[in-house]
Amino acid sequence: MNELAGGVIEIGWAQLAISTGFVVVVGILSMRLALGLERDLALATVRTFLQLIALGLVLRWVFGIDSPWLVLAILLLMMGAAAQTIVKRAPDAPRGILGSSMITMLLTGFTVTFAVTGLVIQVEPWYRAQYVIPIAGMVLGNSMNGIALALERTFADLDARAGEVLALTALGATPWEAAGDSVRVAIRAGLIPTINAMAAAGIVFIPGMMTGQVLAGADPLAASYYQVVVMLMVAAATALGSVLAVMLSYRKRFTADGVYIEKGYRQPR
Amino acid sequence: MLLTAKGLTFASHADPGPHYVLERVSLAIEAGEIVDVRGPSGSGKTTLLRALARLLPDVEGTLTLAGRSAEGYAPAEWRSRVTLLPQTAAMRPGTVRDNLLLPWGLKVRSAGHAPPDGALEQALLEVGLGEIALGRDASRLSVGQAARVALLRAVLTVPDVLLLDEPDANLDDESTAQVAAMTELFASRGGAVMRVRHQRGDVRASRTLRLVGGHLTEVAS
Repeated sequence: MNELAGGVIEIGWAQLAISTGFVVVVGILSMRLALGLERDLALATVRTFLQLIALGLVLRWVFGIDSPWLVLAILLLMMGAAAQTIVKRAPDAPRGILGSSMITMLLTGFTVTFAVTGLVIQVEPWYRAQYVIPIAGMVLGNSMNGIALALERTFADLDARAGEVLALTALGATPWEAAGDSVRVAIRAGLIPTINAMAAAGIVFIPGMMTGQVLAGADPLAASYYQVVVMLMVAAATALGSVLAVMLSYRKRFTADGVYIEKGYRQPR
Repeated sequence: MLLTAKGLTFASHADPGPHYVLERVSLAIEAGEIVDVRGPSGSGKTTLLRALARLLPDVEGTLTLAGRSAEGYAPAEWRSRVTLLPQTAAMRPGTVRDNLLLPWGLKVRSAGHAPPDGALEQALLEVGLGEIALGRDASRLSVGQAARVALLRAVLTVPDVLLLDEPDANLDDESTAQVAAMTELFASRGGAVMRVRHQRGDVRASRTLRLVGGHLTEVAS
């Protein structure tokens, strides 16, 4: 075994081959059971290899360069990708929500990431890539799921309640008054997975970051403090992000006159 | 004239190419009138009501209410005075009381006073729903009961014009008669009513209009 100074047992090509072997077994199983998953599985495995190794190389390079501009550029790239993913995952949402997703990711991503690195961990200098990029990744990745869920739910619920929305609007309701119920349901839906994860953390599963730190040889108690900080910040980012994203976009399904644009209606000019 | 519409034009893009559902439709309704609109299925009767209630995006033409052009009213204010009752009665989660008082929870009526329980009970009694307690869960209403509660909810706000989209579809004879009585009472108190109907009228409508191919014509009585 190759043990590093920090107590990490290094993984080499042989170990990677063993883990790939397991995926091959699943592939054979898929063929035998006619699950039709072989292609997707192979593709996903190749992507996992390429993307994560590329990430490792990029991070190594970034850590070496030590430039605040580079760190900021990478954060922007990550936020753009997160905003894109949100749009893709909310097919019921109207066109034009990319802008609001981007604003949401920028605001919550930067605020929460730098609140953790600057105020809680107090990283020196403030842009230290080793801390900023992984924490931004956790904040963005987790809040992105909640935000996508909240957005998808908002428009799915509005479509399901279209009759009620019309009746309310006909009685003189503003878009907010007509859509309020859906907005509340959606924000709650976006937050529930995070709240569940917080409640189950440490009992049902060991969260990813803590696992990583413990594997890397950190003191489990120190690692648990880190995990608490990250979980709370992820919850905050998800909550703020969902509220912001839904508030910025629910109005897009209403005309300027406050009429709900039902599914299938042409978006007015 | 209480409500006028001039040159209402609306093209649907549901199928490839524009299809004119309303083509330069003009009409005028006076206070106290009950106007029936008939026409084949899919001829745009619902679209016409939605256009009058300013609930239709992208419609051309001009509307006036009590001599003032539509631009003079905020959209929500217009809809509170020219109120559409959609064909499907939509009850919100909550009790019958919650549903009847819903309009007064909206900003557009923030200055108004919600009717007290006594008035609500009296109103329910008048439309043959006396057996329904205000505290009943609205989801426990039958289709016919929900339709009448929804109509009552609109009537209680005393709009200038009530636009009813097939108010007696799926109702039994007794419910139909009660809806008709409510409509007549509303008109006799100075409200104007425009109804989309399939069935033969059992209440004497002041006038009947026919909408075919995007054009509205008066039917001689």
